[in-house]
Amino acid sequence: MNWLTRLRNWHAYRHQRLADVDLVVLDLELTGLDPKRDEIVSAAWVEIRQGRIILGTARHVVNKEVRQLGQSPVIHGVDERALALGCSLRTLLQQLAEVLEQSMLVCHNAILDWGFLKRAFVQHEIVMRPERILDTMQIERQRLLRQGQTLAADCLTLSACRQRYDLPSACEHHALSDALSTAELLLAQNSQLGGTQGALLRQLT
Amino acid sequence: MTAQVQDVLTFMQQQAPFGQLAYSATDYFVEHLEIIYVSAQNQTQWFKSEQPHLYLVRSGHFDLRSERGELITRLAEGDYFGYPSLLTGEPISNQLEVVQAGLVYVLPQSAFDFLRHEYKPFEQYFVRAHAKRLLSSHYKESASGWSEHRVSELMSRAAVTLTPLASIQEAAKVMKKHRVSSIMVTENDQLAGVVTDRDLRNRVLAEGLDPARAIREIMTVRPKYIYENNRIFSALHLMLKHNIHHLPVLNEDRTPMGMITSTDLLRQQKSDPVQLIGRIYKARSYGEVQQLAKEIPDLLSDFANKIEDISLIGQLLSGLSDALTGRLIDLYQQQHGTAPTPFAWICFGSQAREEQTLHSDQDNGLLLPEGVTDEQRGYFAQLGGFVCQQLDECGIRTCPGNIMASNPQCRGTLSEWCDRFTTWTHAPTPHAMLNCKIYFDLRFIAGSDVLFGQFLHHLSEIPKNELFYAAMAADINVNTVPIGLFQQFKLQQDKHKHKYLDLKKRGVVIINDIVRLYALQAGISKPNTLQRLRALKNHQVLSSEDIANLQDCWRFLTQLRLRTQIDREGLPENCINPEQLSSLERHQLKEAFQLVKQAQQACAFKFARGSL
Repeated sequence: MNWLTRLRNWHAYRHQRLADVDLVVLDLELTGLDPKRDEIVSAAWVEIRQGRIILGTARHVVNKEVRQLGQSPVIHGVDERALALGCSLRTLLQQLAEVLEQSMLVCHNAILDWGFLKRAFVQHEIVMRPERILDTMQIERQRLLRQGQTLAADCLTLSACRQRYDLPSACEHHALSDALSTAELLLAQNSQLGGTQGALLRQLT
Repeated sequence: MTAQVQDVLTFMQQQAPFGQLAYSATDYFVEHLEIIYVSAQNQTQWFKSEQPHLYLVRSGHFDLRSERGELITRLAEGDYFGYPSLLTGEPISNQLEVVQAGLVYVLPQSAFDFLRHEYKPFEQYFVRAHAKRLLSSHYKESASGWSEHRVSELMSRAAVTLTPLASIQEAAKVMKKHRVSSIMVTENDQLAGVVTDRDLRNRVLAEGLDPARAIREIMTVRPKYIYENNRIFSALHLMLKHNIHHLPVLNEDRTPMGMITSTDLLRQQKSDPVQLIGRIYKARSYGEVQQLAKEIPDLLSDFANKIEDISLIGQLLSGLSDALTGRLIDLYQQQHGTAPTPFAWICFGSQAREEQTLHSDQDNGLLLPEGVTDEQRGYFAQLGGFVCQQLDECGIRTCPGNIMASNPQCRGTLSEWCDRFTTWTHAPTPHAMLNCKIYFDLRFIAGSDVLFGQFLHHLSEIPKNELFYAAMAADINVNTVPIGLFQQFKLQQDKHKHKYLDLKKRGVVIINDIVRLYALQAGISKPNTLQRLRALKNHQVLSSEDIANLQDCWRFLTQLRLRTQIDREGLPENCINPEQLSSLERHQLKEAFQLVKQAQQACAFKFARGSL
């Protein structure tokens, strides 16, 4: 990419709004919090196009190669039986890479999810780098800090954030429900920050 | 393969018409769904005429307004909109106004058409909803039940008046000329009397009176009247109660405006329980009275569906109880001889406040003149016992606290009653407070209103010291509204593990108590809570905003409470499960409780110096 293209991209980006881009909102179920030691149990995502969540694009893919579930089923409910119905981690990653092409990735606490994904993509030698990553948790954090609020320990969890926008309560710790919850939260944040046209992307990153 | 989000599926399963449809219908619906977030700022981009969609509110509140800006309905969780243009193909004409931003589910036309084609109940549901919406917006324009109209709307003729010195013959000529059956007699523009056809017959012709004499001699002096702003319902009630056929109408300055007659009303009337009051006043035997009382519950639920201001129901029921009591007293006197002395039958509590429900019990008493003999007391003991027992058979339960005219304690002379009230106000024990809350709401039912007037006068003279008001305020604050620190409902639980909120005890009653306290302090003798509030506007104790808030809360809670009585599901009386309210109603309910709480605190501060 030469510098001129980059400049053009940068300029386009300056004026891009959320409604102009395609987004993939993702949530992972994990066996733990450490990318080096723990594994991806499943990935769920749903797409947002032109500011609409398209439920027909919702996917939930389970990784049948998980070696050590440990105590994690208590949280996400995916047990050995559900694992058996899944596919290989490579297939999972390939499907995900396909939808992420030309799209931006959205997560609630992206550091965690992207940390696991980046490592997995590298291990399976899949070249994948999403155009940009949005993090609803960071958006909320910035917004609260701008308002001069001090942040309590659990004020940035997905359900706490949703409550602030009066979004209905949802069942938690199920990858697909969480992905949809995150998508809804993003739309609410977009409306709050952006007014009539929706927020500029650079306001959200 | 698409994965289905369990939350969305669960939510859709609970929505009409999907509960009745095969699971595949819900599945298809969710598969084709899109979700948008609609706020006041971004709403213009979503609703475009060229692409009709079916919309379903998932969260937030939206007002649907017609082209002319009239509110059609308020949409909350679970409400659909947009289907009229999907069904008719006509462009969208209504506008949406965002009250509170929220999520909206969107279904494209193609998916709607598929479901409509595949599932008959789905189509029926929306066709019906469409018809209903058309009906309801039409219905609102054509104004509701006739009995809610104002007297002034019914009164067409201008007032026909004469001075008291006009001759009887002149009166007859004027009546002929204007083709009316009655005239008003006025002095300095104030109503002095009424002369009717019947007076000309009974008091002139039959008596052989000289028609040249002044009408002053034959007119009915100090006739009953009504203000032009009153409801027709009240006019009818008054006419039936006193068995009169002509009712003068006055404006606020008490200037006569015209006359309404029973024929005017009957012309308006279709089938209404108000008629029942009239039939009760005419019943000829106890059996007949009881028979008529049996019709009350049916007529009531019928009536409840017809009127918008449901607080009228309390008035109506109290009106019916008044009629039953009054008629029973008359019948007793016909059979056992007229009462030996003047007396007044009074009622207390909910009947007095005119907020009776189908489950209210009797609270009544007898007021006797000074110097009543033991023999005369015997007569009233019989009367009291009889009427209370008959009322019980008519479906108005006996009072568990024994506040009934059958109880010797509740049959007293003026001074005996005053003594009881004085004891309570001077030694404000919890028990005395309880009595005050019941007995200070009192209303005259039958007998001598002169005696009752004297009683009211004496009551207002009873000195009430600050200690008494402080005790009342403290008592009010014992009862708390069911709202927690973080705006959560605090639910009670019964032995069947139903969770519920008590709307009466922890809402309506608190408002009644607060208003009673202010009314007592201001010396207002009206028993009805809304009337008291209206009267309080002329005193400097409550701001007009506080008064308006209390009125609104009272109406909202009463409405909710009466509605649960008509269709309740296994919960204790007057209780609701907030889960079953729409999210809008839940929101309003929380707000109402919050206002009640504020009023409670203000009351404690004012009367108990915040010493609670």
